[in-house]
Amino acid sequence: MPTALRSKGFIALALLPALLLFVVFVIIPIFWSAYYGVFEWKGIGASRFIGFGNYSEILQDPIFWRALKNNLILVISAILGQIPIALLLALVLLKNSFFSRFIRSAVFMPMVLSTVVVGLIWGYIYHPQFGLVNTVLEAIGLESWTRAWLSEPHINILAITIPINWSNIGPYMIIFIAALQNISPEIDDAANIDGAHGGKKLVYVTLPMIWSTVIVTMVLCISGSLKAFDHVMVMTHGGPAQSTELLATYMYNNTFRVYRYGYGSAVSTIIMIISALLIGINYLLTRRKAE
Amino acid sequence: MELRTTRATGTTMDSPNRKLVRRGLSGLGKLILIGYAVFTLYPLYWLFISAFKTNEDFFKRPYALPLVWMKENIFRAWELGGMGRAMLNSTFVTLSSVVLTLAFGLLAGYVLSRFQFKFKKVAVALFMAGLLIPIHSTLVPLFLMMKQMNLLNTYGALILPYTAFELPIAIFLAMGYMASIPKEVEEAAMIDGNGWWGIFGRIIVPLCTPIVATISILAFLRFWNDFSFALVFINSQELKTLPLSLALFSDGFGTDYSLTMGAMAIAVIPTILVYLILQDQIMKGMVAGSIKG
Amino acid sequence: MKSIRKMSLMLLVMAFILAACGSSSGSNNKAGEEVTNKDEKVKLSIWHNFAGDDLRAKTVRGLIEKFAQDNPNIELDAQAIPPDGYRQRLSTVAAGNELPDLFFVYAGSHSTELYKAGLLQPITEVVDANPEWKDNFLPGAFDPYTFEPDKIYTAPIGMSATSILYYNTSLFEKYSVKVPTTWDELMTAVKVFNENKITPIALGNKAPWVAQSTIIGSLADRVTGTEWFKSASAQKGAKFTDPEFIEALGYFKQLVDNKAFQEGANSIDNTQAEQYFIQGNAAMMVSGAWTLTNLAASSSEEQMKVVDVTVLPSIPGGKGDPNTISGGAGGGMALSKRSEGAVKEAALKLIYAVSGPEAQKAIAESNSMVMYDTEIDQAKVSSLYYKAFNLVKKTNITPVYDAYLSAEAGEVINNGLQEIMVGGTPESVAKKLQDAQARSITP
Repeated sequence: MPTALRSKGFIALALLPALLLFVVFVIIPIFWSAYYGVFEWKGIGASRFIGFGNYSEILQDPIFWRALKNNLILVISAILGQIPIALLLALVLLKNSFFSRFIRSAVFMPMVLSTVVVGLIWGYIYHPQFGLVNTVLEAIGLESWTRAWLSEPHINILAITIPINWSNIGPYMIIFIAALQNISPEIDDAANIDGAHGGKKLVYVTLPMIWSTVIVTMVLCISGSLKAFDHVMVMTHGGPAQSTELLATYMYNNTFRVYRYGYGSAVSTIIMIISALLIGINYLLTRRKAE
Repeated sequence: MELRTTRATGTTMDSPNRKLVRRGLSGLGKLILIGYAVFTLYPLYWLFISAFKTNEDFFKRPYALPLVWMKENIFRAWELGGMGRAMLNSTFVTLSSVVLTLAFGLLAGYVLSRFQFKFKKVAVALFMAGLLIPIHSTLVPLFLMMKQMNLLNTYGALILPYTAFELPIAIFLAMGYMASIPKEVEEAAMIDGNGWWGIFGRIIVPLCTPIVATISILAFLRFWNDFSFALVFINSQELKTLPLSLALFSDGFGTDYSLTMGAMAIAVIPTILVYLILQDQIMKGMVAGSIKG
Repeated sequence: MKSIRKMSLMLLVMAFILAACGSSSGSNNKAGEEVTNKDEKVKLSIWHNFAGDDLRAKTVRGLIEKFAQDNPNIELDAQAIPPDGYRQRLSTVAAGNELPDLFFVYAGSHSTELYKAGLLQPITEVVDANPEWKDNFLPGAFDPYTFEPDKIYTAPIGMSATSILYYNTSLFEKYSVKVPTTWDELMTAVKVFNENKITPIALGNKAPWVAQSTIIGSLADRVTGTEWFKSASAQKGAKFTDPEFIEALGYFKQLVDNKAFQEGANSIDNTQAEQYFIQGNAAMMVSGAWTLTNLAASSSEEQMKVVDVTVLPSIPGGKGDPNTISGGAGGGMALSKRSEGAVKEAALKLIYAVSGPEAQKAIAESNSMVMYDTEIDQAKVSSLYYKAFNLVKKTNITPVYDAYLSAEAGEVINNGLQEIMVGGTPESVAKKLQDAQARSITP
């Protein structure tokens, strides 16, 4: 069959460059790094094979579990916060009017800013002495609610989710807008003729049409939240007393600050395993929902 | 788009009262949106006013306009940070990586969303794994590998890993998007005698403008702002990219905010421009004509 | 046919990438690979983190540039790396054994780990060749870099004096508070300032090394004495769970409990705390000599005029000398093990150029402390720096904790102090520190 052969050739050729680049620069380093995970190694000098020693130490470290818990808080807040708000904004701002364009650009702007600026400005918003939040609370008579938002354990990780969601809504919004562009007007028309409006139309027509994109954004949310690093590094350094530690900051500190390279590598392998598990669960859940 | 609005008014056969309520609601909605926009734009405004302050002013009156507009901050940051050269490097590295990401990502995304073949699931899973990697863990292995390949301290030491790390997102976005392009489009083109390359190049890619723009924006931001790879894989001053210039004015004991802010204000302008240009492309979605054609 | 055309297009793209990648490999020379023929230039590479715009960084960069001009036969490749990424860069490159000939190292675990990995070689010969230079270093200057007896690995470029008590004289006068020389006086001051809604002590402990480096080292030394700390960090004859150390942490807890620091000290950075202090919101600040450099760059002489400096107050019944400041040798240039022959000679020459007598004087005059006995021109420095310079001259130096602890134990005490600030107990922090240090001493 000439066509089959031709498509085989096409598949191979089209996939090859991406696959090649990806395997060499991403997959090989991952396995390489996972390999370091079974050594006690400082990143320099001699190394010692210790099997799963690093892994069992990680699993016994309460800080690891705290970091994981913080990451899960980020995952939940991202899925519940970023995706619905981004989708809502995408639906509302789908028009090409000046107003929509302006708002769309505004919503995206936190993303173009360097994390350092985001961290600084939110540091000021949360500032214990002259921060915006505390000033507002005092002004409306809720002085007892004022606190050092980024220093108080248990509250600070929640305080951090807000700037993270705030920065990340933009990209998800444009991903949704791109997907919504793809719904052909005929389907839209048909829905309107059938009398589907508002929420009903969203659930029965729009969402199924962009369902593959919704899943993609969820995967991105999960993996992004588990890799989260920059915002926390800038705003709290994972502190105070490691109360906002995340898996990635935990790994980074072990690798580059405490010179436990092997241990850090084992942590990143665990991060990947956890992400894969969560994405697998997400896949099972969302597949059922789609049917 | 006009069609949509006429449709909307055409189908609303509501009483005048409900119309009024609806208009009021949309007014309220607009207010909320404007409020949200202020909330998201403020940091940008803050960055630009802070860029023109002295350090003393920056700390004393963090929210106010500069007492004296220090244009020197911008010039000094530009000069001390070697930002001219860094800007050129960043532009070259970023654009090359975006082009490669798009070319490879779209092709792979197309194949993975449209064809059934033996190792498809493996390939998808493999790319999926790429989404999960915390990049800091790959620094040492990548460094050692690129040393072997004699790639260190070249533009390639950034372009190739950047592309490779962005491919998973590009591929997944492309797959998600292409999944919703009707198959009939290709069948029609097949009958017209196009090969797969022709279909991909002439039919699919033009239909993908919104997602191409989306991928480009995300990739551009990632590459433009990357610090870790640029820090470790590049050695010579001539190849340094912008994020390294931005980090120069902070030493762990203290930060010179006027210069840092000045440098950041410079670096953010290209990203805003790129976003504004590409945002319009996202909206150039599938128009009725191209489907029927 | 068509697919061949596409394939060649693909190849073209690939070729483009390769061309882009290869285009700049001209500057790809690595340290230690140089051929050193007689008529060829000696290639010397140096990495440092004096990258910023502050006076000290500019001074050191100036010294390096001058060296390059004075030695036309040496082709110098000097890299200023952003300080925030310096350790990460050096660690990664060290893993690939790609270090330059000379590189800046920090005192403490940073240089120790590099030494243990066998990446450094001693520079004793250049130190011994210039005895008048060696003798003018302050006592203990080479201690952190003497990894083996009589072998010096680095000459410190600066000094870290980490526990200077800065105070705002006008606030002390306004509320007629005595500048504290004893613990009780300090607690009185804390109380009075708090009553008047003035923050007693400004602290920016977001990067958690701050409280450790500026406060606990000096405070604990006053309680335990220096010998105890040295034994405890060597895990010989003393432990961090000993009552004296718990007592020392207890003093820190007292500060916390009496609200000596402003609320949320753990979420603002050192620069912000300095500004909070210099703007008159806080009466005191315990900080290092770096604050002098920072303030010189960001505040007016007017603001600095009212600030004076002293040592931390004494502790009742303490074993340590109260007239001390914690501090020690700052970082210096280390020599890569791979450098040899003419390259090594040139490298040693450069070390002398950036840390020799003239260099020390120049650095001292850039509002930055040195570990070297030198006279400075008062007109060249800020008034506050001049006060601090003279204070440090007449006090003794006690160890900074993280210069002696292992990297891991350093992290533990850093985080532990934050823990105490959010309600942790001295006992549990002491235990964690003991465990961490014991683990890294006996692998």
